[in-house]
Amino acid sequence: MDKKYVLLSLFVIVALVQLFIPAKMILDREKVLDSGKEFKFRTAPVDPVDPFRGKYITLRYDESVIEVKPEEDWVRGETIYVLLGTDADGYAKIESVSKVSPPIGKDFLKAKVNFVEESNPGKVTIRYPFDRFYMEESKARDAETAYQKAPTDTNRVMYALVSIKEGESVLKDVIIDGVPIKEYIKQQSAQKDVH
Amino acid sequence: MSMLNDIQELVSAEVISRETGDKIRDYYRNKRGLSINWLYLVFGVLGAILVGLGIILLIAHNWDELSLTVKTGIAFLPLIAAQILSGFSLIKKRQSVSWRESSSVLLFFAVGACISMISQIYHIPGNLSAFILTWVLLCLPLIYLMSSSIVSLFYLIGITYYACETGYWSSPVSESYTYWLLLLPDLPHYYQLYKKKHGSNFMTFHNWFIPLSLVISLGTLSNSNPEFMYIAYFNLFAFLYLLGNLKFLTKQKLTDNGYLITGTMGTLILLLMLSFDWFWKELENKSFRFNELMLSPEFIASAVFLLAAGSLFYTGQKRKAIRDIHPVAVVFILFMITFFIGRISGISVVLINLYVFAIGILTILDGVKRNHLGVLNFGLLIITALVICRFFDEAISFVFRGILFVSVGIGFFATNQMILKRRKANG
Repeated sequence: MDKKYVLLSLFVIVALVQLFIPAKMILDREKVLDSGKEFKFRTAPVDPVDPFRGKYITLRYDESVIEVKPEEDWVRGETIYVLLGTDADGYAKIESVSKVSPPIGKDFLKAKVNFVEESNPGKVTIRYPFDRFYMEESKARDAETAYQKAPTDTNRVMYALVSIKEGESVLKDVIIDGVPIKEYIKQQSAQKDVH
Repeated sequence: MSMLNDIQELVSAEVISRETGDKIRDYYRNKRGLSINWLYLVFGVLGAILVGLGIILLIAHNWDELSLTVKTGIAFLPLIAAQILSGFSLIKKRQSVSWRESSSVLLFFAVGACISMISQIYHIPGNLSAFILTWVLLCLPLIYLMSSSIVSLFYLIGITYYACETGYWSSPVSESYTYWLLLLPDLPHYYQLYKKKHGSNFMTFHNWFIPLSLVISLGTLSNSNPEFMYIAYFNLFAFLYLLGNLKFLTKQKLTDNGYLITGTMGTLILLLMLSFDWFWKELENKSFRFNELMLSPEFIASAVFLLAAGSLFYTGQKRKAIRDIHPVAVVFILFMITFFIGRISGISVVLINLYVFAIGILTILDGVKRNHLGVLNFGLLIITALVICRFFDEAISFVFRGILFVSVGIGFFATNQMILKRRKANG
């Protein structure tokens, strides 16, 4: 066969892979969003920037520390499985953590160990795989200040809506006072304009 | 035009034959054609880089108002366009370097833009290293299919960034062996360049990018025995230096020989760093566990580069007399011995100072012998750097330091003067 056609057919394969991988990234997330179970994680945002992907807000989660037995050997950075439940207010709660994947059918997600405190009992801080929420560059800072302006305001509830399926998780939205964060910022700036 | 007239004149005066005249004309015509192609290439590639980066920045704005479907469409649009363009170059313009290179560069950035757009839409976690890894792996085949040297350079930048991201900047850091695996698939392209486009600008760029990438990434292997990283680095620098002395590189201009310069400068800078005693004090007090050490990434890196440098040294030295061996080439062996002496005695720091001094003096002598002002002054600079480092050493008396400075200064005048005089005498 002509060298040109070999090259071309190889190129077509590479091009298809280049299309397939991003498409698969989309499909995997869509699957979790479609048929996953939703959890609400209480959170607080800060606003850094990624050189390629733009502005985002980092989400820190209240429910991220769990006590473990001191004899268990947890290592920073290792993958763990977090079994989830819901508390009385309807927010996500860690039931337990384990090093092996729980049986299918339970609600769990894959995360990383962020920090280990060796005491009795030991404490493991979890790093969730949904710690970024990308926002339009003009709004990311507003989102941060909107939340931090009134830290004493206990009525202001902020949580991340996360869809979870078989360990995989997708961050759907961040909700402040019952409205999605993008809407919330719009409302805030509209109010500012009125004043 | 005047040249063509001259040729005409020379032909009619029968100074050169008609055939020779045609040949000369052809030669200059081709040469001009080549430089025009080169310009096309530079502008094509620069344009593609700018457009590609622009698309990434536009996408990084995170357009909130756009619906999910539109955003997804936008993510794939540049990618498909760049793929069609690259396909076209492959079918119709395979002979044109500028077409191939520019369309590949565009495709490279379009892939990055696409996956970054998807990361934003689905808020895919903060892991920059995974993002870069996906990006460069998806573009790796382009180096060979499109035979694109620029994508190869971007690939090198990408994997180096990846190594830094996992090894230096993320928390918790992890030593990354992946980088070394990722480096391998780029090497055949480098070999192709060496075979086919020896002396081209692409080759020169690779001659700089590869050693720099190695130097930057080696440090990511540092874990719990950072002291051993010094051995690894000395071995790496020796390896680079000896590579730079291979025939195919010494034929090039010195500034095109990234290996030689990186190897020499790296060795000297490390020696100067270790000419202070802080490192040796720590080394003497530190305890190593032998079994752990043997499996540590630092030890493995040291051993691998020792083998590499050692074999190059051995093959290169076989053909040379002992006095022809450049002093920088043996530092890696000396340092290893000094390192182990440093475990038991405080004399190592003195030895390191002696090595730098000896390298300086030998370089000066070499410069005098070869009647080469550049080499001579490089030797003097080495001595000066050493003296400046000792300026801050409080353990040495002011009088001694003063004498040291004055004598090096006089040395500068005297040796330069000597060479200039000798040149004048030779006419």
